Amino acid sequence: MKVLFVEDEPVLLEEMETYFSSHDCICEQAVTFGQAEQKLRDYTYDVVVLDITLPDGSGIDLIEDIRKSHLETGILILSAKDSLQDKLNGLNLGADDYLTKPFYLEELNARVNAIYRRKTLKGVEQITFDDFTMHPSSKSFFFKESEVSLTRKEYDMLIYFVINKNRVVSKASIVEHLWGDHFDQSDNFDTVYVHMKNLRKKLCNISGKDYIKTVYGMGYKFTY
Amino acid sequence: MKLLSKISYYHFWLSAVVLGITGSMLFFFLRNEISKEIQEQLELQTDMVAHEIYMGRTIDFPLINITKGDDSLMKLPKIFKDTMIYDRLQKVTEGYYYFSESKKINGQPYRIMVMTTYIGWDNYSKAIIYIFLSIAGLLIVLGTLVNYFISRRIWKPFLINLKRIKAYSVSSKEELQLTLTNVTEFKELNNVLIDLAARDKREYNALKEFTENASHEIQTPLSILKTRLESISQQPLTVDIARLLNDAKQATIRLSKVNKGLLLLAKLENNAFTDVQWVSIEAVLKRNFDLVEDLFQHKCLHVEKHIQSKVVFASQFLMEILISNLLTNALSYTPSGARIIFSLSEQLLVISNEGEPLSFPESKLFKRFGKGATDNKGNGLGLSISKQICTLNKWQLSYSYEKHMHRFNIHF
Repeated sequence: MKVLFVEDEPVLLEEMETYFSSHDCICEQAVTFGQAEQKLRDYTYDVVVLDITLPDGSGIDLIEDIRKSHLETGILILSAKDSLQDKLNGLNLGADDYLTKPFYLEELNARVNAIYRRKTLKGVEQITFDDFTMHPSSKSFFFKESEVSLTRKEYDMLIYFVINKNRVVSKASIVEHLWGDHFDQSDNFDTVYVHMKNLRKKLCNISGKDYIKTVYGMGYKFTY
Repeated sequence: MKLLSKISYYHFWLSAVVLGITGSMLFFFLRNEISKEIQEQLELQTDMVAHEIYMGRTIDFPLINITKGDDSLMKLPKIFKDTMIYDRLQKVTEGYYYFSESKKINGQPYRIMVMTTYIGWDNYSKAIIYIFLSIAGLLIVLGTLVNYFISRRIWKPFLINLKRIKAYSVSSKEELQLTLTNVTEFKELNNVLIDLAARDKREYNALKEFTENASHEIQTPLSILKTRLESISQQPLTVDIARLLNDAKQATIRLSKVNKGLLLLAKLENNAFTDVQWVSIEAVLKRNFDLVEDLFQHKCLHVEKHIQSKVVFASQFLMEILISNLLTNALSYTPSGARIIFSLSEQLLVISNEGEPLSFPESKLFKRFGKGATDNKGNGLGLSISKQICTLNKWQLSYSYEKHMHRFNIHF
């Protein structure tokens, strides 16, 4: 997957690039509107992660350009302005998703992957690990040939883990992913634990392998 | 008191005083003038009587009295006075003037007295009072009427403008438009208002910009903090450092929530949500409930639902926030195993949950950070935001505690 990050904040850029590179992405970056314009003219990307507030222009204005030349390119707006108007404008102009700062890298990764599956792979892609196969579009999950039943939350959690494999994912990040912005309370850590425990048990019973490791005090790490 | 009534009120008293003074003046001047005329007339009459006597003619007339006398008569002064005489025909005593004077005619002193009626001053004064009262009445009634119709014309632009100003909001994109008028004061007022509106709009926009900039400025460093802390989490850490790191992460989350909440409140106060449409509360409730159903189950909460369909014309975004805030609230503050009841009807949404009474005054419930920082649940803004959303939609959000149940009601 080829991703362009348009972002004027160097630390964020570095973090995003480091993380996405470690997940087999080809990453490019643009720190100004002009640079982004240039890159978008010369290359094609699977997904563009777009900050709205740039030193020499508004990311919103880039959306139309991208849509004109590359219909397949996914666009995710990354904005510090939690402004409903910006969000609606962006989505109307053809952006695929909108994420507000501050965000979790895992969440960004999950969203970028979802856009990529939807747009580039037209939703036919499977996510596989070992003998397991996930079909995100039908929300089904198989071990070899037989279907494994997961609750909706377990399914969402599993995708989140697989997409963010080999990374310690904090409970707060999982809470935000599972229940959204409004319900991300530390009260819900216990419920995360319950879902994780059930998921872990199911995977372990089927394959005999423990995929999810608890990192004391920090969160969970999914490895395969 | 309406301006028109106020003007009429002063107009009435002014008319009363002016008419009272001028009425009495008229009365006294008139009486004085007429007395003088009567005196002159009576003097002339006396002179004419004297002339008749001089000519040797006898005069016999009831209202003339001639007395012959000696020289002592000549010492009596001229007298002009009023007296009462009984009118046989009218059967009333009426006022008369009499004039008496001593004259020496052909060497013989006479005392001549003539009289004439003064046509009842009572009647005069009554007539004057009646006339003046009717003048006053007409002036007031007609004056008010004229005032009313003129005012309606003159005040019309003012009233139209008043309506427009009432409807005007600095958050709207349109400029304030006022009807033109040719009254100088209103013109001036219009100019001042248009200036004021423009200035308010500028300041409002500056404030809005500031809020957004502040948000940007805070959110970006927060993002850096958050991602860096997550990166540190990837390293092998000792238990102690993990604990420290966790605290820092929690604080970052709280800060970012408070920041978001405050921004949302600021936007709510500026009424910056224009995405109004028909929203099914039932659907919003169902969606949010489905999302957190596992959280309810995990806490073993007994949920009862009595849901009817209800649509409102409001911002979809805000409805999601309102419902999720109330759900979070119920979720956070209901003890495990307790009961939560949702009921939605055409007029009322009620979310009630079992629990101990509030540990702080009820008046602080909907205030920002009202419950103090004693517990770490929520950011202290949720209910304040809910209240504001209801106020914006002209609904009433109220709280009550009865039979061991906390009840939040929204009256649509």
